[in-house]
Amino acid sequence: MTIEMEFGARSDVGCVRENNEDSFRLAPELNLFVLSDGMGGLASGEVASRLSVETVVKHCGDAAADPALPIEGQAIGGVSQASNRLASAIRLANRTVHDAAKRNGNDGRMGATLAAVRVEGERLSIAHVGDSRIYRLRGGDFEQLTRDHSFVAEQMLRGRMTPEEASASALQSVLIRAIGIEAEVDVDVNEELLRDGDTLLLCSDGLTRELSDEQISAVLGEARDAQAAAESLVDLAKKAGGGDNITVIVLRGAPKTAGTLALIKRWFRR
Amino acid sequence: MSKLVLKFENSVLREVPVGASEVSIGRSPENGLVIDNPAVSHYHARVFHEEGRLMLEDFGSLNGTFVNGQRVKMVMLKPGDSVMVGKHTIVVTESSEPGLMTWDGPARAAAPKINETVMLDTKARRDFLQQVAAGGESSQIAPARLKVATLLVRSGKTDRKEYALSDKLTVVGKSGMATVKLKGWFAPKAAVQINRREDNDYYVGAADKVPCVNGAPIAHPTKLASGDVISVAGIELEFVYRD
Repeated sequence: MTIEMEFGARSDVGCVRENNEDSFRLAPELNLFVLSDGMGGLASGEVASRLSVETVVKHCGDAAADPALPIEGQAIGGVSQASNRLASAIRLANRTVHDAAKRNGNDGRMGATLAAVRVEGERLSIAHVGDSRIYRLRGGDFEQLTRDHSFVAEQMLRGRMTPEEASASALQSVLIRAIGIEAEVDVDVNEELLRDGDTLLLCSDGLTRELSDEQISAVLGEARDAQAAAESLVDLAKKAGGGDNITVIVLRGAPKTAGTLALIKRWFRR
Repeated sequence: MSKLVLKFENSVLREVPVGASEVSIGRSPENGLVIDNPAVSHYHARVFHEEGRLMLEDFGSLNGTFVNGQRVKMVMLKPGDSVMVGKHTIVVTESSEPGLMTWDGPARAAAPKINETVMLDTKARRDFLQQVAAGGESSQIAPARLKVATLLVRSGKTDRKEYALSDKLTVVGKSGMATVKLKGWFAPKAAVQINRREDNDYYVGAADKVPCVNGAPIAHPTKLASGDVISVAGIELEFVYRD
């Protein structure tokens, strides 16, 4: 059984930065949705994030045409082939950005985060490197599905920092894992079940720096559709300060049948 | 080493280094940088170092001191800044030294350093990860568990009595995706899901139904400990770690 997905996205430079170094791609023909936040300035961040996203989409596209395409790196046990292919794509993005940085000079460093979701029937492949996040809203529960690869997240995990201290910390942008910085990278891959009514959110940290979980889940729960949700989130983040580039991708498992009762309920909610 | 380059209408007149002591600017000959022009006050302004920063202070001059077009009283100077004193321009430059950044074009308002996403540099990162690993748990690679997570069916109709959990996603339900297959007409397609996350921990989460863990319904995906009992859709499963 396939759940119908509707999707929407928006990326904005925000209110403070001069360039938008976030990139994203919606590839519905591959059921693939990817987002990347470039690191550092001097436009290399923009190059890194664009190259990351394009490499992931291309590799998954090539593999769809030729399933025998070799996997980059080691296959992971306990996950589907689609998940392994997504991890492979991200490792390839890492290698591609790393090699490009060496050729460019620029003191040889270019980096980005990456967050990606691939849908296969009712199974979601969730993969990421860095501190761009993937969340799910199911019923009233808003859950972060990815663990940040950041210094402060590690500190919180070890009980050395509270969430309040982390959000006030001057080190909150420091990553311990990123795309393109080293020759190889360890990609976190998880799988999730997709249910009707689930809403998935991929976002760069420009969103979560400005808005709380409560604010974000409220927008996701109330928005008319995925595109409206994406736009509202970006507008709200900008109103709250917009200190960084903001990119969001919203995916919704659309309810199969919008029956009369559901339509009436939606009308009254307006 | 910072340098002040005095210019008048694009001609460079003089260069004065800013060393440890300050450079005072004005019409009077006692100043470090003398500008002989009626628009300049006798003691107009000074440039000095404070806590590693290059500072400019206007001495309450008649015509004022302008940095990049804005009138200032006391301000920090960056290489590339253009200081206007009367009709003269003083450009702040930096001689090349390792570790110092070079700026091209007009100085732009840089976002505070802490907001730029940066990577912990290689040595620091490796040291940090080693520290973390020494603390008992690796942050990147979960240690291989010798124990196998298992679900034991305590009651209810399922296709087997025991399930070893080897996948990252395990579904309990009637659908084709389910590992723990529920029997019965009214069984939900996917009652609950069990995820293996970072550090090889298992979490049970609601899908079509909200499960109870040890008798209490859960509000969000909940980490499982050996001996926890999950009840949902008419069945009871005990989660255990087996050797």
